[in-house]
Amino acid sequence: MNLTQSARDYLTRNLTYEDALPTQMPVYVNSVAYLFGVSALSALGLLVLTGVVMSLFGPDWYHVSNVGHFFNSLHFWSVQIFFFAIVLHLLTKFSIAGWRDGRWKTWVVGLLILGVAILTGLTGFLSQTNWDSQWISVQAKDAMNALGVGAFFNTMNTGQVLTLHVIVLPLVVTALVGLHLFFIRSDGSIKPIPRKRAR
Amino acid sequence: MSKKSDAYFKDIPMKPYDLLKEGLIVLSIITVIVIILAAVFSSPDYPTVRGEDVAKRQPIAYLRTSANTLGGFSGIQTYGPPYTKNYDNAQRVFGIAPANLPGVTIPINAEVDFVLKPLERVAVLNKGVDSALKTYKSATPAQQQVWLKNYLIALDKATVVNGEVRVPGGNFGPVATMMNGMLNLGKAGLLEGALESNPRLPYSLNPTRSLLFFQDDVYVSVADSLDMLSGQWGLVHETGNYPGAWWLWPYVFFYQISPFNTSPNADLQVGLIMLALFLILIFLPVIPVLNRIPRGLGIYRIIWRDWYARSREIHEFEPRRKAG
Repeated sequence: MNLTQSARDYLTRNLTYEDALPTQMPVYVNSVAYLFGVSALSALGLLVLTGVVMSLFGPDWYHVSNVGHFFNSLHFWSVQIFFFAIVLHLLTKFSIAGWRDGRWKTWVVGLLILGVAILTGLTGFLSQTNWDSQWISVQAKDAMNALGVGAFFNTMNTGQVLTLHVIVLPLVVTALVGLHLFFIRSDGSIKPIPRKRAR
Repeated sequence: MSKKSDAYFKDIPMKPYDLLKEGLIVLSIITVIVIILAAVFSSPDYPTVRGEDVAKRQPIAYLRTSANTLGGFSGIQTYGPPYTKNYDNAQRVFGIAPANLPGVTIPINAEVDFVLKPLERVAVLNKGVDSALKTYKSATPAQQQVWLKNYLIALDKATVVNGEVRVPGGNFGPVATMMNGMLNLGKAGLLEGALESNPRLPYSLNPTRSLLFFQDDVYVSVADSLDMLSGQWGLVHETGNYPGAWWLWPYVFFYQISPFNTSPNADLQVGLIMLALFLILIFLPVIPVLNRIPRGLGIYRIIWRDWYARSREIHEFEPRRKAG
């Protein structure tokens, strides 16, 4: 078995260049509601970019530097836009029953992205090393402990939450987003729900 | 396109499209919005509440926390897993306590770790505290409790004059000296350092003990003043008027309603409810009735209104053509 040949055949069947980078789209893709996903993706890009800059200068940077604080503000508002867009995207896909025609995979991966993003957001709040982090960490620990998760994930362990926030969870989110986009481009935009004909 | 795409979009009219251009336009717009929000509203960065701050600004609260902890009256002393072996105190639903399964993984003996060990460090520098510590340790547990309870009662009547705490006299044994030692440790800004016992010092990435020390009354008091308590929907906003994790409002909502707002197992109950809701969302495509909700809501008619209008025109045109 030639793995390279198999991978090429799989892509040929599921994701051609035209699928991945389309130059035409079904005419029913004609609403602002189709822009929420790409808005979330854009905000995610900004989150990664501003996060990388903040990582380069270290976790204390934004407390002592005006430039650092501005980058923290960019990161903070990117988070808000990201979740705003992702919630609208979710509501839109729910409204159009976007799981039809075999697109349940895209739906499931999208929800997993939301779940991991919420965890990434939590570790972000915990990594701020300010009063909010103090308060959220002692509050969130009760929820984690009650579920038995606190034994492995200590919200008050700054080293653990910081590394989760800047490396592990972004990698998981990015990988899931990649899979989500693969399914979207492979399957194409779902057809409208058939309407009952007026008698 | 792939054969799969060709088959799916057969008979569907297509229009010209530029994926990258659309993506870049949206990215530009989002970038501008984020820059404007950051420039205009900045972001929250409320300073940390340190032991030094509490010792200087709220010395009586500091002393009460220290005495309560030494007496075994703080919340963490009998918390249960993952900190202590009080397995009966773990939250449970239908008799099952998930916290008990992994057991104690972050062992904490608050009396020793939070008070006696820090005082042993103070004792190196202060002979009075050294002597008091020895007296306390050599006393019976019953005697220790008498001293501590007397001290805590007297602390209710304590006053602060020129920054100094004045506690009415009483039978406190060595406790008053020990507590003053704790207070001075805090005033010197050394409490957090004394609480840490990482064998890898000077590297310290885990402030768990420092955070747990003040988690009861002091943190709650600060959070209350900033409207950040659970009953104030604390999770969904940060300090000031900044938005927080507002996307968790369904989670916070359950804490506001009965029976969860008074339940000792609320964290586990609400956590399990959220887990169940998430699983329902995941499996929504195959759950009868629920997967038909979008058709009932009819919001899709707005999103695809152009398509339906176009279909109607064609539909209305076709019979006339046939008739003609």
